[in-house]
Amino acid sequence: MNKPLPRITPDSEPFWKALRERKLVLPYCRECAKPHLPPGPVCPFCFSGRLEWRPASGRGRISTWTVVHKAWFPAFAEDIPYNVVQVELEEGPRLTASVIGLPNERLEVGLPVVIDFDDVSLPRFRPA
Amino acid sequence: MILAMRDRAAIAGIGQSEYGRFLPASQLKLGATALKSALDDAGLEREDIDGIAIHLGWPLGVDYDRAAEAYGLDLRWVTQSWLHGRFVTSMMQQAAMAVACGLANVVACFTAISFTRERQILGGPGDAEGTREEGGTHGESPPYGLTAPAGGAALGMQRYMAQYGATSEQLAAVPIAFRKHALKNPGAVMQQPLTLAGHQASRMVVDPLHLYDCSLITDGAAVVLITSSERARELKQRPVYISGMQGMRSGREEFIFAPRGLGINQQATAKWAPQERDLGAYRMAGIERKDVQALYTYDAFSPLVLFTLERFGFCAPGEAAKWVQDGRIELGGELPMNTSGGLLSEAHIGGWNSILEIVRQLRGEAGERQIRNAQHLQWATAWGDSVVFRK
Repeated sequence: MNKPLPRITPDSEPFWKALRERKLVLPYCRECAKPHLPPGPVCPFCFSGRLEWRPASGRGRISTWTVVHKAWFPAFAEDIPYNVVQVELEEGPRLTASVIGLPNERLEVGLPVVIDFDDVSLPRFRPA
Repeated sequence: MILAMRDRAAIAGIGQSEYGRFLPASQLKLGATALKSALDDAGLEREDIDGIAIHLGWPLGVDYDRAAEAYGLDLRWVTQSWLHGRFVTSMMQQAAMAVACGLANVVACFTAISFTRERQILGGPGDAEGTREEGGTHGESPPYGLTAPAGGAALGMQRYMAQYGATSEQLAAVPIAFRKHALKNPGAVMQQPLTLAGHQASRMVVDPLHLYDCSLITDGAAVVLITSSERARELKQRPVYISGMQGMRSGREEFIFAPRGLGINQQATAKWAPQERDLGAYRMAGIERKDVQALYTYDAFSPLVLFTLERFGFCAPGEAAKWVQDGRIELGGELPMNTSGGLLSEAHIGGWNSILEIVRQLRGEAGERQIRNAQHLQWATAWGDSVVFRK
């Protein structure tokens, strides 16, 4: 059984399309200038519909993490124990992802990380 | 008008099936048992029920139309929520408002669950909800293998521990307290004592949550009959009044399994303590927080107990892990919580097993677990909703 892929909507399509080109982009509001996640149809801060996609630095810090030890989903059974993190991007919004190139024992809130990619265009992060 | 619903509706009867694991009966059958026992308890007939509030529908539970069809009900008011435990308060509030407005005379709040037969649904391939495009409602992200609600509670607790220095050993005080309560409840599923060593040695499920930080996976049914206070006073049982209530919070500052301000998902990071507007249930009930003699909460995961205490100001932000030590939340302590054992040790009946316990306590029927002179008990959740009950 395959691992689930992200479900893509018209609102989030540019986000995933950019990732296929190994770029991280965020939806910014052209009125109040704030970026937001998850990608939505309007700015959640000022409710403006004038959004534009801009590149993000790909840098951030782990804001929280966990390590999964139970096989809820058969496709992940072989990966156990594996980590899932939330990363607070430099630009502010937080992204759920996972960390590669770091033993799970060294996961830590506040650890600086930088984006990397895998073969299905899911963002991953490495220690910066 | 905030006071409009004070004591307008009451619980007139409660009923349940047995609680257990791998029970042979269908959800419909378990529900029939609970409904019959609630009617007997209230001294009402099946024909008196004209409204139903279904908390959990198919496939974990039973949908309203099947319940009505199977039990021969003739309903003029129905509501049904999402497949999540978070809607206990919403269902009770809707039922109370329906009877207060005259949309129904007697509403059965109905929950029948078979978690064991349908266990694939919880975080497994049968769980479509976690695959919502922008992430699941507990922070699930299936492409990364975070597919169960427990993962969301783990994300919340991990950050809480980093922020405030709380430990797994401190968290263990929650399941240990509720296990003690279950040992005084012959109907509880868990009947073996739980020690700190036992908690720490139990397998890690999703770091930092050990097995005993996660609720039971059980089957069973519970029914709560809600009617107007006038009607309830004419019935067999002493009414348990729905005295105050407040709704569920939602927005970018909220994550279902974190206090406000913790910094999960898109929450701002800020030390958040409740203000007057966050505590409307007490004002509606005309009481103060200190009048609450016991607190009941949705303890699907032990961190939720800490987050509830902070959400309602029983302790300051970041202090709950220390606050729950030394028997404080045990029977005989300063603020007993989940006195029948809760989802962690009695059974996971979507939270309604604790509502039944509140009613038993306020009627003085809780036996060995009875809180002396119980007058005001509170149901409150980590997501900010609440019902204050009085006898």
